[in-house]
Amino acid sequence: MNTEHLDTDEQRAFRLKAREWMAGRMPPRDPQEEPCDLGDGDQIAKDRRSQRILWDGGLAGITVPAAYGGQGLDKRFEDIFLEEAEPYRLPWVFGNAFNIVLPDLLAHGSEHLKTLYIPAMLRGEHMWCQLLSEPSGGSDLFGLLTRAEKRGDKWVINGSKVWTSGGHFCDYGICLARTDPAVPKHQGLTMFIVDMRAPGVTINPIQLVRGGSHFCQEFFDDVEIPEDHVVGEVNGGWTVAQTHLAQERISMARGWHIGLRTPAKAETIEVQTSYLDTARQLGLEKDRHARVLIGEAIAIDAVYAMTTARVGKGIRSGALPPTSGALSSLMAANTAVRRTALLSELVGPAGVAVLPGEEEPVIGMDRVCTHRIGGGTTEMQRNIISERHLELPREPSLDRNLPFNQLKHNSSAMAKS
Amino acid sequence: MDVGLTEDQIALQETTRRFLEEQSPIGALRRLADKDESFDPAVWRQGAELGWVGLFVPEDHGGFSEGFQGVVDAAIVAEELGRVVFSGPFHAVATVAFAVAQAGSDAQKAALLPALVSGDAIAAWCLSGTGAQSGVEPGGLAVTTRGDDHVIDGIAGYVQDAAIAQHLLVTARSDAGLSQFLIPTDTPGVTILPLELVDLGRRLAHVRFEDVVIGAEALVGEAGAAAAQVERQLQVAVALQCAETVGVVDRALEFTLDYVKQRYAFGRPIGGFQALKHRLADHVTQLEGAKAAAAYAAKAIQDESPDAAIAVSVAKSQCGKWGTEIVRDCLHMHGGIGMTWEHDIHFYLRRAVSNEALWGTPAAHHERLCALAGL
Ligand SMILES: Cc1cc2nc3c(=O)[nH]c(=O)nc-3n(C[C@H](O)[C@H](O)[C@H](O)COP(=O)(O)OP(=O)(O)OC[C@H]3O[C@@H](n4cnc5c(N)ncnc54)[C@H](O)[C@@H]3O)c2cc1C
Ligand SMILES: Cc1cc2nc3c(=O)[nH]c(=O)nc-3n(C[C@H](O)[C@H](O)[C@H](O)COP(=O)(O)OP(=O)(O)OC[C@H]3O[C@@H](n4cnc5c(N)ncnc54)[C@H](O)[C@@H]3O)c2cc1C
Repeated sequence: MNTEHLDTDEQRAFRLKAREWMAGRMPPRDPQEEPCDLGDGDQIAKDRRSQRILWDGGLAGITVPAAYGGQGLDKRFEDIFLEEAEPYRLPWVFGNAFNIVLPDLLAHGSEHLKTLYIPAMLRGEHMWCQLLSEPSGGSDLFGLLTRAEKRGDKWVINGSKVWTSGGHFCDYGICLARTDPAVPKHQGLTMFIVDMRAPGVTINPIQLVRGGSHFCQEFFDDVEIPEDHVVGEVNGGWTVAQTHLAQERISMARGWHIGLRTPAKAETIEVQTSYLDTARQLGLEKDRHARVLIGEAIAIDAVYAMTTARVGKGIRSGALPPTSGALSSLMAANTAVRRTALLSELVGPAGVAVLPGEEEPVIGMDRVCTHRIGGGTTEMQRNIISERHLELPREPSLDRNLPFNQLKHNSSAMAKS
Repeated sequence: MDVGLTEDQIALQETTRRFLEEQSPIGALRRLADKDESFDPAVWRQGAELGWVGLFVPEDHGGFSEGFQGVVDAAIVAEELGRVVFSGPFHAVATVAFAVAQAGSDAQKAALLPALVSGDAIAAWCLSGTGAQSGVEPGGLAVTTRGDDHVIDGIAGYVQDAAIAQHLLVTARSDAGLSQFLIPTDTPGVTILPLELVDLGRRLAHVRFEDVVIGAEALVGEAGAAAAQVERQLQVAVALQCAETVGVVDRALEFTLDYVKQRYAFGRPIGGFQALKHRLADHVTQLEGAKAAAAYAAKAIQDESPDAAIAVSVAKSQCGKWGTEIVRDCLHMHGGIGMTWEHDIHFYLRRAVSNEALWGTPAAHHERLCALAGL
């Protein structure tokens, strides 16, 4: 089902253009394939090519202003594009670039940075990572230790970032660093653009529990950054980070991979047939307990989709405050935890052990990996919801007014492993 | 309810809320309970006059909605009723009005609907038996034929408002399938067995049928062919209950938030302790899910969407489970005062707990979801 019947003439023309351009050019969508595997160089190469195909067809950056290489159209055109793109794999490895860096640049970047980086991003030439978390801590983001000092007409960065998704495949990173340690922690930060191939940048991939390598640690030793590669104001990094984090939450709430679920499909309840298949394979289709577990899995999936849709609609119409994105984020995490618990209970030992060659015991590994840590832990989401949404008193903090260089930090901070 | 209400719907919500705050605040329920009464007929009649039942009844029988058009509006009313743990027979009367408007004969519509709309008559629906599947599946009553007459036997379980109703809508099974009848409560052979309830603002009864002989004019729709209609009624009943639960939880969470902001311990408001803040964040998140699911279900029924049956059970899963969980924790956050008769919170918890159990437990709806999904 799509919304073709609602098209104006202009929208219809755009739809047909998109349909015709993508046919035969874009790679088909494979439901078995991970939407974004930042440890898979082939997938990244494929997505770079796809992004270029979209650019060549006038389908990149649909809502981005034409001055920066976009199409300058409204959200309706993006929805049309996504409906037409349903048979294809979209370049989802560019999530960081389009979900976060693009809005950061549009809101806070200088004209120079916008014209330098947005069109290249839309052409699929640059992959972006976000350099926020540090070994000393990610939740307390504004307590970060990486220093940037002005030397002549350059900024010089020293320190370490960690858990950087896709760091080893990225061309550029958006990086928050401390430019003034003599003021309270929120006030002395600046957002930079870092060339990941610049001299002095060392990138070490880190192996994840599932194997593969999805994120990295970076060390910066006297890395030089041009003076004009500051996003927003010097010492105004906190303001840029607010946009950054809000975009991250909104994107997570809406679904990080744009177009994985089309807008029209989000309006009806989708039941995962794999639950039913699993029950049949195990001969549990008549078992009451199994049916209760599966029914609950169906229900929580649907409630999550409905909640996300409701929160998105509420934020757009102003009925809900923008911080409500944290509600969807928290529900995403809680739903994932509950779903894996239900499925583990359903399949029992088959979820954790199989004969060689049989399918991977995915359910058990899902259970091992189901947490919400990236993009802010669930505790951080709960703090946002309780403090900004419910207006409950803020956590007492010892670090809000003291100059940063008088605060206690982790003893392990900055330790090079 | 929905985040995208129309102006008319907002007006309906506001008038309903104002009326209930004036005429039926939660304190009224405590006074009724102190007198061993469960509802105030005068307030019910006034509420009906506001058009609550008319949402399911077409204009020529005193209402103002055709077909399914009133479901979303009725859910808005139900949510407001939940906010004050309303004690009147809205749920039972609305569901029967919907059934008769949809499937009744012209004579039945003319005889019953105007009186239901005005609040003069009360009707109740005998759907299920007394077992665990009560509220989700028809059962309990069997019907046979004797000449031109129909004869009903069995026990209908947990029938809302049977004890105050003048009319019963009866769903019974024969070899041919499901049939529905509309009969007076005082029909010979019908015995009402009132139950004692956790929820003090509600009435439930088992209804015993012993050789109850009724004529063909009492049939609602065709004999043996009522299954689809019964499913529609069930959807409306569950959707209204979910909307009511949303109101119950929304209001309980509201005054709990007020309380934890002004109650001090250890030199600060208890609402500043992360142990409570994080639970409240989880609760408001699940409440948002309940609101989304209840609104989705009402709209799916109204739009006659193919996923309406699934949507209703999804809503019951979410509202049933989290309704109890959240309000129980709200009571907890009140400390000792929450355990007292004088405090309002227990009325909310009683309603939430009963709503979880009635019209199908979450587990029963989970099983139903499997069946609807083809397992
Ligand atoms: C898959 C994945 C991808 C990631 N990608 C990126 C990326 O691309 N770029 C990037 O910069 N970072 C990335 N991260 C890092 C992520 O943002 C951090 O891991 C996260 O913010 C938590 O920081 P931490 O690991 O230092 O844990 P800590 O901040 O040390 O937290 C440890 C524990 O303490 C809890 N805690 C901390 N403070 C509080 C508090 N005030 N109240 C209650 N509990 C608290 C936390 O919730 C957590 O459970 C990624 C992480 C993961 C897992
Ligand atoms: C059945 C019953 C019998 C009792 N019998 C007696 C008796 O014989 N003698 C007697 O002296 N007392 C008695 N009590 C009182 C009981 O000890 C108190 O109700 C209890 O200590 C809680 O205090 P409170 O009611 O003032 O709640 P509060 O202290 O106001 O607490 C309200 C809520 O805030 C939470 N909270 C408070 N501080 C924190 C914190 N720092 N971190 C996280 N959460 C916090 C609490 O857990 C609670 O959920 C009885 C209570 C009950 C219910």
